[in-house]
Amino acid sequence: MRRGEIYGFLGRNGAGKTTTIRMLLGLIRPSGGDVEVLGGRVRPGTTAPFARVGYLVESASAYPNLTVRENLDVQRRLTRAPRAAVAEVIELLRLGGLAERRARVLSLGNKQRLSLARALLHRPELLILDEPTNALDPAGIVEVRELLRSRAGEEGVTVFVSSHILTEIAHLVDRIGIMHEGRLLEELDRDQLRVEERLYVEVGVAQPARAATLLAAAGFARVEQAGGRLRVYDAQGRVPELARVLVGAGLDVTEITQAREDLEAHFLRLTGGAQ
Amino acid sequence: MTFVQVLATELLKLRRSKVTWLSLAALSLGPLAIALMMWIVREPGRAAKLGLLGTKANLSGLSATWPAYFSMLTMVVGMGGMLLLAFIVAYVFGREYTEGTAKNLLALPVGRHWFALAKLVVAAVWWAALVVAVLAEGFVLGAALALPDFSRATALGAVHDALLAAAIAYLLVPVVAWIAMLGRGYLPPLGFALAMLLLGDVFSHTGWAAWFPWSIVPLLIGAIGKPAASVAASSLVVVALTFLAGIAATIAQLRWADNAQ
Repeated sequence: MRRGEIYGFLGRNGAGKTTTIRMLLGLIRPSGGDVEVLGGRVRPGTTAPFARVGYLVESASAYPNLTVRENLDVQRRLTRAPRAAVAEVIELLRLGGLAERRARVLSLGNKQRLSLARALLHRPELLILDEPTNALDPAGIVEVRELLRSRAGEEGVTVFVSSHILTEIAHLVDRIGIMHEGRLLEELDRDQLRVEERLYVEVGVAQPARAATLLAAAGFARVEQAGGRLRVYDAQGRVPELARVLVGAGLDVTEITQAREDLEAHFLRLTGGAQ
Repeated sequence: MTFVQVLATELLKLRRSKVTWLSLAALSLGPLAIALMMWIVREPGRAAKLGLLGTKANLSGLSATWPAYFSMLTMVVGMGGMLLLAFIVAYVFGREYTEGTAKNLLALPVGRHWFALAKLVVAAVWWAALVVAVLAEGFVLGAALALPDFSRATALGAVHDALLAAAIAYLLVPVVAWIAMLGRGYLPPLGFALAMLLLGDVFSHTGWAAWFPWSIVPLLIGAIGKPAASVAASSLVVVALTFLAGIAATIAQLRWADNAQ
Protein backbone atom coordinates (compact mmCIF):
# COMPACT_ATOMS: atom_id res chain seq x y z
CA MET A 1 0.00 0.00 0.00
CA ARG A 2 1.05 3.59 -0.55
CA ARG A 3 1.09 6.03 2.31
CA GLY A 4 -2.09 8.12 2.48
CA GLU A 5 -4.08 6.06 0.04
CA ILE A 6 -7.43 4.46 0.62
CA TYR A 7 -7.23 0.86 -0.45
CA GLY A 8 -10.46 -1.01 -1.01
CA PHE A 9 -10.34 -4.70 -0.34
CA LEU A 10 -13.22 -6.15 -2.22
CA GLY A 11 -14.54 -9.67 -2.13
CA ARG A 12 -17.68 -11.66 -1.76
CA ASN A 13 -18.58 -13.27 1.55
CA GLY A 14 -16.08 -16.01 2.31
CA ALA A 15 -13.47 -14.64 -0.12
CA GLY A 16 -10.86 -14.35 2.65
CA LYS A 17 -11.06 -10.65 3.50
CA THR A 18 -11.48 -11.05 7.25
CA THR A 19 -8.90 -13.83 7.34
CA THR A 20 -6.40 -11.51 5.63
CA ILE A 21 -7.18 -8.75 8.12
CA ARG A 22 -6.78 -11.15 11.03
CA MET A 23 -3.34 -12.02 9.68
CA LEU A 24 -2.46 -8.33 9.31
CA LEU A 25 -3.33 -7.84 12.98
CA GLY A 26 -1.49 -10.91 14.20
CA LEU A 27 -4.68 -12.56 15.41
CA ILE A 28 -3.89 -15.64 13.36
CA ARG A 29 -0.71 -16.80 11.69
CA PRO A 30 -0.60 -17.32 7.94
CA SER A 31 -0.32 -20.90 6.72
CA GLY A 32 2.49 -19.68 4.47
CA GLY A 33 4.50 -16.52 3.90
CA ASP A 34 4.95 -13.48 6.09
CA VAL A 35 2.91 -10.43 6.98
CA GLU A 36 4.44 -6.96 7.21
CA VAL A 37 2.66 -3.94 8.59
CA LEU A 38 4.33 -0.50 8.56
CA GLY A 39 7.64 -2.12 7.81
CA GLY A 40 7.56 -4.56 10.70
CA ARG A 41 6.87 -8.28 10.57
CA VAL A 42 3.64 -9.24 12.29
CA ARG A 43 3.10 -12.53 14.08
CA PRO A 44 0.76 -13.43 16.93
CA GLY A 45 1.96 -11.43 19.91
CA THR A 46 3.68 -8.67 17.92
CA THR A 47 3.16 -5.25 19.49
CA ALA A 48 5.56 -2.87 17.73
CA PRO A 49 3.49 -1.53 14.81
CA PHE A 50 0.19 -1.38 16.65
CA ALA A 51 0.77 1.97 18.34
CA ARG A 52 0.35 3.33 14.82
CA VAL A 53 -2.54 1.14 13.70
CA GLY A 54 -6.25 1.52 14.37
CA TYR A 55 -8.53 -1.33 13.48
CA LEU A 56 -12.00 -2.72 13.43
CA VAL A 57 -12.33 -6.38 12.66
CA GLU A 58 -15.42 -8.53 12.29
CA SER A 59 -18.42 -7.28 14.23
CA ALA A 60 -18.49 -4.14 16.33
CA SER A 61 -17.92 -4.92 19.98
CA ALA A 62 -17.63 -3.07 23.26
CA TYR A 63 -17.83 -3.81 26.97
CA PRO A 64 -21.60 -3.82 27.53
CA ASN A 65 -21.45 -2.61 31.15
CA LEU A 66 -19.14 0.28 30.39
CA THR A 67 -20.38 3.59 29.02
CA VAL A 68 -19.29 4.84 25.62
CA ARG A 69 -16.82 7.18 27.31
CA GLU A 70 -15.46 4.40 29.55
CA ASN A 71 -15.05 2.07 26.60
CA LEU A 72 -13.02 4.74 24.84
CA ASP A 73 -11.07 5.44 27.99
CA VAL A 74 -10.03 1.78 28.11
CA GLN A 75 -8.67 2.18 24.58
CA ARG A 76 -6.98 5.47 25.51
CA ARG A 77 -5.11 3.83 28.36
CA LEU A 78 -4.07 0.86 26.26
CA THR A 79 -2.75 3.03 23.43
CA ARG A 80 -1.32 5.72 25.74
CA ALA A 81 -3.29 8.40 23.94
CA PRO A 82 -3.71 11.76 25.69
CA ARG A 83 -6.79 12.31 27.86
CA ALA A 84 -8.27 14.81 25.40
CA ALA A 85 -8.37 12.14 22.70
CA VAL A 86 -11.56 10.62 24.12
CA ALA A 87 -13.53 13.87 23.87
CA GLU A 88 -12.14 14.54 20.40
CA VAL A 89 -13.16 11.21 19.02
CA ILE A 90 -16.60 11.40 20.67
CA GLU A 91 -17.06 14.70 18.85
CA LEU A 92 -15.69 13.31 15.59
CA LEU A 93 -18.07 10.35 15.54
CA ARG A 94 -20.96 12.42 16.93
CA LEU A 95 -21.32 10.24 19.97
CA GLY A 96 -21.77 13.20 22.35
CA GLY A 97 -25.38 12.41 23.22
CA LEU A 98 -24.49 8.81 23.97
CA ALA A 99 -21.25 9.32 25.87
CA GLU A 100 -22.67 8.37 29.26
CA ARG A 101 -24.83 5.51 27.99
CA ARG A 102 -23.81 1.92 28.59
CA ALA A 103 -22.67 0.19 25.43
CA ARG A 104 -25.21 -2.58 25.86
CA VAL A 105 -28.11 -0.21 25.11
CA LEU A 106 -26.57 1.15 21.90
CA SER A 107 -28.11 0.32 18.57
CA LEU A 108 -26.01 -1.77 16.21
CA GLY A 109 -25.22 1.32 14.17
CA ASN A 110 -24.06 3.28 17.20
CA LYS A 111 -22.01 0.33 18.38
CA GLN A 112 -20.34 0.44 14.99
CA ARG A 113 -19.60 4.16 15.48
CA LEU A 114 -18.12 3.39 18.89
CA SER A 115 -15.88 0.76 17.31
CA LEU A 116 -14.79 3.28 14.69
CA ALA A 117 -14.13 5.84 17.42
CA ARG A 118 -12.00 3.22 19.17
CA ALA A 119 -10.02 2.65 15.99
CA LEU A 120 -9.41 6.38 15.45
CA LEU A 121 -8.78 7.40 19.06
CA HIS A 122 -4.98 7.28 19.09
CA ARG A 123 -4.66 8.99 15.69
CA PRO A 124 -3.20 5.99 13.89
CA GLU A 125 -1.19 6.26 10.69
CA LEU A 126 -2.86 3.18 9.32
CA LEU A 127 -6.49 2.21 9.65
CA ILE A 128 -7.47 -1.39 8.98
CA LEU A 129 -11.22 -1.58 8.78
CA ASP A 130 -13.24 -4.69 8.12
CA GLU A 131 -16.61 -3.71 6.66
CA PRO A 132 -16.78 -0.47 8.67
CA THR A 133 -20.20 0.61 7.42
CA ASN A 134 -21.98 -2.59 8.46
CA ALA A 135 -25.24 -1.79 10.22
CA LEU A 136 -25.02 1.92 9.44
CA ASP A 137 -27.94 3.67 7.80
CA PRO A 138 -27.37 5.45 4.45
CA ALA A 139 -26.61 8.78 6.15
CA GLY A 140 -24.16 7.00 8.46
CA ILE A 141 -22.46 5.36 5.48
CA VAL A 142 -21.94 8.73 3.80
CA GLU A 143 -20.66 10.17 7.07
CA VAL A 144 -18.11 7.39 7.51
CA ARG A 145 -17.04 7.71 3.91
CA GLU A 146 -16.44 11.45 4.41
CA LEU A 147 -14.64 10.77 7.65
CA LEU A 148 -12.26 8.28 6.05
CA ARG A 149 -11.68 10.61 3.14
CA SER A 150 -10.83 13.48 5.47
CA ARG A 151 -8.49 11.31 7.57
CA ALA A 152 -6.68 10.26 4.42
CA GLY A 153 -6.73 13.65 2.72
CA GLU A 154 -6.01 15.97 5.65
CA GLU A 155 -3.99 13.80 7.99
CA GLY A 156 -2.32 11.45 5.53
CA VAL A 157 -3.81 8.39 7.20
CA THR A 158 -3.53 5.25 5.11
CA VAL A 159 -6.80 3.35 5.03
CA PHE A 160 -7.24 -0.32 4.26
CA VAL A 161 -10.93 -0.99 4.07
CA SER A 162 -12.67 -4.23 3.22
CA SER A 163 -16.15 -4.44 1.87
CA HIS A 164 -18.54 -6.49 -0.12
CA ILE A 165 -20.58 -3.37 -0.80
CA LEU A 166 -19.23 -2.44 -4.20
CA THR A 167 -20.75 0.99 -4.63
CA GLU A 168 -19.29 2.06 -1.30
CA ILE A 169 -15.79 1.03 -2.33
CA ALA A 170 -16.09 2.60 -5.76
CA HIS A 171 -16.94 5.97 -4.23
CA LEU A 172 -14.23 5.95 -1.65
CA VAL A 173 -11.04 4.29 -2.72
CA ASP A 174 -7.87 5.22 -4.58
CA ARG A 175 -7.08 1.62 -5.31
CA ILE A 176 -8.89 -1.61 -5.15
CA GLY A 177 -7.91 -5.23 -4.70
CA ILE A 178 -10.36 -7.92 -5.67
CA MET A 179 -10.16 -11.06 -3.58
CA HIS A 180 -11.76 -14.33 -4.49
CA GLU A 181 -11.41 -17.74 -2.86
CA GLY A 182 -8.39 -16.67 -0.86
CA ARG A 183 -6.50 -15.13 -3.79
CA LEU A 184 -6.01 -11.57 -4.92
CA LEU A 185 -7.45 -11.64 -8.43
CA GLU A 186 -6.78 -8.11 -9.51
CA GLU A 187 -5.56 -4.73 -8.32
CA LEU A 188 -6.80 -1.57 -9.99
CA ASP A 189 -5.90 2.04 -9.29
CA ARG A 190 -8.29 4.93 -9.65
CA ASP A 191 -7.52 5.53 -13.33
CA GLN A 192 -7.83 1.89 -14.14
CA LEU A 193 -11.07 1.80 -12.23
CA ARG A 194 -12.44 4.35 -14.69
CA VAL A 195 -11.13 2.42 -17.69
CA GLU A 196 -12.58 -0.69 -16.21
CA GLU A 197 -15.93 0.97 -16.26
CA ARG A 198 -15.98 -0.12 -19.82
CA LEU A 199 -18.17 1.51 -22.41
CA TYR A 200 -20.21 -0.71 -24.63
CA VAL A 201 -23.10 -0.32 -27.04
CA GLU A 202 -26.30 -2.15 -26.33
CA VAL A 203 -28.37 -3.00 -29.38
CA GLY A 204 -32.02 -3.99 -29.42
CA VAL A 205 -32.50 -5.94 -32.61
CA ALA A 206 -34.73 -8.64 -34.10
CA GLN A 207 -32.90 -11.97 -34.50
CA PRO A 208 -30.00 -11.16 -32.18
CA ALA A 209 -28.13 -14.38 -33.04
CA ARG A 210 -28.07 -13.54 -36.73
CA ALA A 211 -27.21 -9.93 -35.91
CA ALA A 212 -24.23 -11.12 -33.83
CA THR A 213 -22.95 -13.22 -36.72
CA LEU A 214 -23.30 -10.32 -39.12
CA LEU A 215 -21.47 -7.94 -36.79
CA ALA A 216 -18.68 -10.43 -36.25
CA ALA A 217 -18.32 -10.76 -40.00
CA ALA A 218 -18.17 -6.96 -40.23
CA GLY A 219 -15.19 -6.83 -37.88
CA PHE A 220 -16.85 -6.27 -34.46
CA ALA A 221 -14.79 -8.69 -32.42
CA ARG A 222 -16.41 -8.43 -28.96
CA VAL A 223 -20.10 -9.04 -29.31
CA GLU A 224 -22.07 -10.73 -26.56
CA GLN A 225 -25.72 -11.65 -26.42
CA ALA A 226 -27.46 -10.69 -23.20
CA GLY A 227 -31.17 -11.17 -22.64
CA GLY A 228 -32.27 -10.93 -26.25
CA ARG A 229 -30.03 -7.92 -26.87
CA LEU A 230 -26.49 -7.50 -28.05
CA ARG A 231 -23.61 -5.93 -26.21
CA VAL A 232 -20.85 -4.72 -28.47
CA TYR A 233 -17.75 -3.82 -26.52
CA ASP A 234 -15.68 -2.49 -29.42
CA ALA A 235 -18.25 -0.21 -31.04
CA GLN A 236 -16.90 3.13 -29.80
CA GLY A 237 -16.83 5.49 -32.77
CA ARG A 238 -18.35 2.84 -35.02
CA VAL A 239 -22.03 3.17 -34.13
CA PRO A 240 -23.10 4.43 -37.59
CA GLU A 241 -21.23 1.54 -39.22
CA LEU A 242 -22.87 -0.92 -36.82
CA ALA A 243 -26.31 0.46 -37.62
CA ARG A 244 -25.65 0.24 -41.35
CA VAL A 245 -24.60 -3.42 -41.11
CA LEU A 246 -27.77 -4.41 -39.31
CA VAL A 247 -30.23 -2.25 -41.25
CA GLY A 248 -28.51 -3.18 -44.52
CA ALA A 249 -29.18 -6.85 -43.74
CA GLY A 250 -32.85 -6.08 -43.30
CA LEU A 251 -32.92 -6.46 -39.51
CA ASP A 252 -35.18 -4.19 -37.49
CA VAL A 253 -33.10 -2.19 -35.02
CA THR A 254 -35.24 -1.00 -32.13
CA GLU A 255 -32.61 0.65 -29.97
CA ILE A 256 -28.95 1.54 -29.83
CA THR A 257 -27.75 2.76 -26.45
CA GLN A 258 -24.32 3.58 -25.11
CA ALA A 259 -23.82 1.97 -21.70
CA ARG A 260 -20.99 1.24 -19.32
CA GLU A 261 -20.07 -1.81 -17.35
CA ASP A 262 -19.68 -0.59 -13.81
CA LEU A 263 -17.47 -1.90 -11.09
CA GLU A 264 -20.19 -4.15 -9.80
CA ALA A 265 -20.64 -5.90 -13.11
CA HIS A 266 -16.87 -6.14 -13.50
CA PHE A 267 -16.55 -7.61 -10.04
CA LEU A 268 -19.32 -10.12 -10.61
CA ARG A 269 -17.78 -11.16 -13.89
CA LEU A 270 -14.39 -11.68 -12.20
CA THR A 271 -15.75 -13.61 -9.27
CA GLY A 272 -18.02 -15.92 -11.16
CA GLY A 273 -21.35 -14.23 -11.71
CA ALA A 274 -24.24 -13.17 -9.57
CA GLN A 275 -25.27 -16.54 -8.29
CA MET B 1 3.63 1.70 33.57
CA THR B 2 1.99 -0.46 30.92
CA PHE B 3 0.90 -2.90 33.57
CA VAL B 4 -0.62 -0.12 35.67
CA GLN B 5 -2.69 1.07 32.71
CA VAL B 6 -3.87 -2.44 31.88
CA LEU B 7 -4.67 -3.06 35.54
CA ALA B 8 -6.71 0.16 35.67
CA THR B 9 -8.82 -0.99 32.72
CA GLU B 10 -9.35 -4.41 34.26
CA LEU B 11 -10.41 -2.90 37.59
CA LEU B 12 -12.89 -0.66 35.79
CA LYS B 13 -14.37 -3.64 33.96
CA LEU B 14 -14.68 -5.57 37.22
CA ARG B 15 -16.24 -2.65 39.09
CA ARG B 16 -18.88 -2.13 36.44
CA SER B 17 -19.80 -5.79 36.25
CA LYS B 18 -22.87 -7.25 37.92
CA VAL B 19 -21.07 -10.55 38.37
CA THR B 20 -18.79 -8.87 40.88
CA TRP B 21 -21.67 -8.03 43.18
CA LEU B 22 -23.44 -11.30 42.53
CA SER B 23 -20.36 -13.18 43.70
CA LEU B 24 -20.35 -11.17 46.93
CA ALA B 25 -24.03 -11.92 47.44
CA ALA B 26 -23.45 -15.63 46.74
CA LEU B 27 -20.54 -16.06 49.14
CA SER B 28 -22.17 -14.01 51.89
CA LEU B 29 -25.11 -16.40 51.86
CA GLY B 30 -22.70 -19.01 53.30
CA PRO B 31 -22.28 -17.49 56.79
CA LEU B 32 -26.00 -16.67 56.86
CA ALA B 33 -26.87 -20.30 56.20
CA ILE B 34 -24.44 -21.53 58.86
CA ALA B 35 -25.74 -19.02 61.38
CA LEU B 36 -29.27 -20.19 60.65
CA MET B 37 -28.25 -23.81 61.23
CA MET B 38 -26.58 -22.87 64.49
CA TRP B 39 -29.73 -21.13 65.62
CA ILE B 40 -31.87 -24.15 64.65
CA VAL B 41 -29.56 -26.49 66.58
CA ARG B 42 -29.66 -24.25 69.63
CA GLU B 43 -33.37 -23.62 69.55
CA PRO B 44 -34.95 -26.62 67.86
CA GLY B 45 -38.35 -25.95 69.43
CA ARG B 46 -38.72 -22.46 68.04
CA ALA B 47 -37.26 -23.58 64.72
CA ALA B 48 -39.74 -26.44 64.44
CA LYS B 49 -42.59 -24.03 65.17
CA LEU B 50 -41.38 -21.91 62.29
CA GLY B 51 -41.33 -25.02 60.08
CA LEU B 52 -37.54 -24.96 59.68
CA LEU B 53 -35.34 -28.03 59.39
CA GLY B 54 -35.09 -28.60 63.11
CA THR B 55 -35.04 -32.37 63.12
CA LYS B 56 -32.58 -32.71 60.30
CA ALA B 57 -30.18 -30.19 61.81
CA ASN B 58 -30.30 -32.03 65.11
CA LEU B 59 -29.57 -35.30 63.41
CA SER B 60 -26.46 -33.95 61.78
CA GLY B 61 -24.75 -33.96 65.16
CA LEU B 62 -23.92 -30.29 65.07
CA SER B 63 -23.30 -28.32 68.20
CA ALA B 64 -24.06 -24.62 68.36
CA THR B 65 -20.57 -23.53 69.45
CA TRP B 66 -17.88 -21.28 68.07
CA PRO B 67 -15.54 -24.18 67.13
CA ALA B 68 -18.33 -25.90 65.14
CA TYR B 69 -19.31 -22.58 63.59
CA PHE B 70 -15.71 -21.80 62.60
CA SER B 71 -15.23 -25.22 61.09
CA MET B 72 -18.27 -24.69 58.86
CA LEU B 73 -17.20 -21.15 58.00
CA THR B 74 -13.81 -22.46 56.85
CA MET B 75 -15.64 -25.01 54.74
CA VAL B 76 -17.70 -22.25 53.08
CA VAL B 77 -14.60 -20.23 52.24
CA GLY B 78 -12.64 -23.30 51.14
CA MET B 79 -15.13 -25.38 49.16
CA GLY B 80 -17.65 -22.70 48.21
CA GLY B 81 -14.79 -20.39 47.47
CA MET B 82 -13.04 -22.83 45.15
CA LEU B 83 -16.14 -22.97 42.99
CA LEU B 84 -16.94 -19.26 43.25
CA LEU B 85 -13.36 -18.27 42.50
CA ALA B 86 -13.37 -20.50 39.43
CA PHE B 87 -16.56 -18.74 38.40
CA ILE B 88 -14.95 -15.30 38.87
CA VAL B 89 -11.88 -16.26 36.87
CA ALA B 90 -13.98 -17.92 34.16
CA TYR B 91 -15.89 -14.66 33.91
CA VAL B 92 -12.88 -12.32 33.98
CA PHE B 93 -11.13 -14.25 31.20
CA GLY B 94 -14.07 -15.73 29.30
CA ARG B 95 -16.03 -12.49 29.01
CA GLU B 96 -13.59 -11.11 26.46
CA TYR B 97 -14.62 -13.91 24.12
CA THR B 98 -18.31 -13.99 25.02
CA GLU B 99 -18.59 -10.21 24.63
CA GLY B 100 -16.52 -10.24 21.44
CA THR B 101 -13.90 -7.87 22.86
CA ALA B 102 -10.90 -10.22 22.88
CA LYS B 103 -9.92 -9.18 19.37
CA ASN B 104 -9.72 -5.55 20.56
CA LEU B 105 -6.99 -6.46 23.04
CA LEU B 106 -4.77 -8.47 20.75
CA ALA B 107 -3.40 -5.92 18.28
CA LEU B 108 -2.28 -3.18 20.63
CA PRO B 109 1.07 -1.76 21.65
CA VAL B 110 0.67 -3.74 24.87
CA GLY B 111 2.20 -7.19 25.35
CA ARG B 112 -0.58 -9.76 25.64
CA HIS B 113 0.91 -11.24 28.80
CA TRP B 114 0.04 -8.02 30.65
CA PHE B 115 -3.65 -8.76 30.13
CA ALA B 116 -3.31 -12.25 31.58
CA LEU B 117 -1.37 -10.95 34.58
CA ALA B 118 -3.70 -7.99 35.18
CA LYS B 119 -6.73 -10.25 35.05
CA LEU B 120 -5.14 -12.63 37.56
CA VAL B 121 -4.29 -9.71 39.85
CA VAL B 122 -7.84 -8.36 39.59
CA ALA B 123 -9.22 -11.81 40.42
CA ALA B 124 -6.84 -11.99 43.40
CA VAL B 125 -7.87 -8.56 44.67
CA TRP B 126 -11.54 -9.38 44.37
CA TRP B 127 -11.09 -12.81 45.92
CA ALA B 128 -9.19 -11.33 48.87
CA ALA B 129 -11.92 -8.72 49.36
CA LEU B 130 -14.61 -11.41 49.25
CA VAL B 131 -12.83 -13.63 51.76
CA VAL B 132 -12.24 -10.76 54.19
CA ALA B 133 -15.86 -9.60 53.83
CA VAL B 134 -17.24 -13.09 54.42
CA LEU B 135 -15.00 -13.75 57.43
CA ALA B 136 -16.05 -10.41 58.91
CA GLU B 137 -19.70 -11.28 58.26
CA GLY B 138 -19.09 -14.65 59.92
CA PHE B 139 -17.69 -13.05 63.05
CA VAL B 140 -20.54 -10.56 63.28
CA LEU B 141 -23.19 -13.27 62.87
CA GLY B 142 -21.44 -15.58 65.36
CA ALA B 143 -21.28 -12.77 67.89
CA ALA B 144 -24.93 -11.91 67.28
CA LEU B 145 -25.86 -15.52 68.05
CA ALA B 146 -23.77 -15.30 71.24
CA LEU B 147 -22.29 -18.75 70.56
CA PRO B 148 -20.38 -20.35 73.46
CA ASP B 149 -16.79 -21.62 73.66
CA PHE B 150 -15.08 -18.71 71.93
CA SER B 151 -11.33 -18.58 72.33
CA ARG B 152 -8.76 -16.43 70.71
CA ALA B 153 -6.79 -19.49 69.62
CA THR B 154 -9.82 -21.09 67.91
CA ALA B 155 -10.63 -17.84 66.13
CA LEU B 156 -7.06 -17.33 64.94
CA GLY B 157 -6.85 -20.97 63.87
CA ALA B 158 -10.06 -20.62 61.85
CA VAL B 159 -8.89 -17.42 60.16
CA HIS B 160 -5.54 -19.02 59.42
CA ASP B 161 -7.17 -22.10 57.85
CA ALA B 162 -9.68 -20.03 55.85
CA LEU B 163 -6.95 -17.75 54.50
CA LEU B 164 -4.70 -20.68 53.68
CA ALA B 165 -7.56 -22.49 51.91
CA ALA B 166 -8.42 -19.28 50.03
CA ALA B 167 -4.79 -18.84 49.00
CA ILE B 168 -4.48 -22.43 47.80
CA ALA B 169 -7.79 -22.12 45.93
CA TYR B 170 -6.39 -19.02 44.22
CA LEU B 171 -3.20 -20.79 43.19
CA LEU B 172 -5.31 -23.30 41.25
CA VAL B 173 -7.18 -20.76 39.13
CA PRO B 174 -4.62 -19.85 36.47
CA VAL B 175 -5.36 -23.27 35.00
CA VAL B 176 -9.04 -22.29 34.90
CA ALA B 177 -8.01 -19.04 33.16
CA TRP B 178 -6.11 -21.06 30.57
CA ILE B 179 -9.17 -23.21 29.90
CA ALA B 180 -11.24 -20.02 29.48
CA MET B 181 -8.78 -18.79 26.83
CA LEU B 182 -8.61 -22.18 25.18
CA GLY B 183 -12.39 -22.64 25.18
CA ARG B 184 -13.11 -18.96 24.42
CA GLY B 185 -15.92 -18.41 26.87
CA TYR B 186 -17.33 -19.04 30.34
CA LEU B 187 -18.66 -22.54 30.07
CA PRO B 188 -15.52 -24.61 29.40
CA PRO B 189 -13.67 -23.26 32.48
CA LEU B 190 -16.74 -23.72 34.68
CA GLY B 191 -17.13 -27.28 33.46
CA PHE B 192 -13.43 -27.86 34.06
CA ALA B 193 -13.58 -26.44 37.60
CA LEU B 194 -16.57 -28.61 38.49
CA ALA B 195 -14.86 -31.69 37.07
CA MET B 196 -11.71 -30.93 39.09
CA LEU B 197 -13.70 -30.53 42.31
CA LEU B 198 -15.35 -33.89 41.72
CA LEU B 199 -12.01 -35.47 40.87
CA GLY B 200 -10.61 -33.88 44.01
CA ASP B 201 -13.23 -35.79 45.97
CA VAL B 202 -12.46 -39.03 44.13
CA PHE B 203 -8.70 -38.71 44.68
CA SER B 204 -9.20 -37.90 48.32
CA HIS B 205 -10.44 -41.47 48.83
CA THR B 206 -7.50 -43.05 47.05
CA GLY B 207 -4.61 -41.92 49.19
CA TRP B 208 -3.40 -39.59 46.48
CA ALA B 209 -5.17 -36.58 47.96
CA ALA B 210 -1.98 -34.82 49.00
CA TRP B 211 -0.73 -35.00 45.43
CA PHE B 212 -3.83 -33.94 43.52
CA PRO B 213 -4.11 -30.14 43.49
CA TRP B 214 -7.91 -30.02 43.83
CA SER B 215 -7.88 -32.40 46.82
CA ILE B 216 -5.58 -30.28 48.93
CA VAL B 217 -8.10 -27.64 50.04
CA PRO B 218 -10.70 -30.27 51.01
CA LEU B 219 -7.99 -32.09 52.99
CA LEU B 220 -6.92 -28.93 54.76
CA ILE B 221 -10.36 -27.78 55.85
CA GLY B 222 -11.69 -31.20 56.74
CA ALA B 223 -14.19 -31.58 53.92
CA ILE B 224 -12.79 -35.12 53.82
CA GLY B 225 -12.24 -36.69 57.23
CA LYS B 226 -10.59 -34.68 59.98
CA PRO B 227 -9.01 -31.37 59.04
CA ALA B 228 -5.30 -31.74 58.32
CA ALA B 229 -3.11 -30.12 60.93
CA SER B 230 -1.03 -28.53 58.18
CA VAL B 231 -0.46 -28.78 54.48
CA ALA B 232 2.31 -31.21 53.53
CA ALA B 233 5.33 -29.65 51.86
CA SER B 234 4.81 -31.94 48.87
CA SER B 235 1.25 -30.61 48.50
CA LEU B 236 2.54 -27.04 48.55
CA VAL B 237 4.99 -27.94 45.79
CA VAL B 238 2.17 -29.49 43.74
CA VAL B 239 0.02 -26.38 44.19
CA ALA B 240 2.92 -24.05 43.36
CA LEU B 241 3.70 -26.02 40.20
CA THR B 242 0.02 -25.97 39.19
CA PHE B 243 0.01 -22.19 39.67
CA LEU B 244 3.12 -21.64 37.56
CA ALA B 245 2.01 -24.06 34.86
CA GLY B 246 -1.38 -22.34 34.73
CA ILE B 247 0.18 -18.90 34.30
CA ALA B 248 2.62 -20.14 31.66
CA ALA B 249 -0.17 -21.89 29.72
CA THR B 250 -2.46 -18.83 29.91
CA ILE B 251 0.24 -16.48 28.65
CA ALA B 252 1.33 -18.91 25.94
CA GLN B 253 -2.26 -19.34 24.78
CA LEU B 254 -2.77 -15.60 24.57
CA ARG B 255 0.63 -14.88 23.11
CA TRP B 256 1.10 -17.56 20.48
CA ALA B 257 -2.16 -19.27 19.68
CA ASP B 258 -4.44 -18.22 16.85
CA ASN B 259 -7.08 -15.94 18.27
CA ALA B 260 -9.82 -15.79 15.70
CA GLN B 261 -13.17 -15.46 17.39
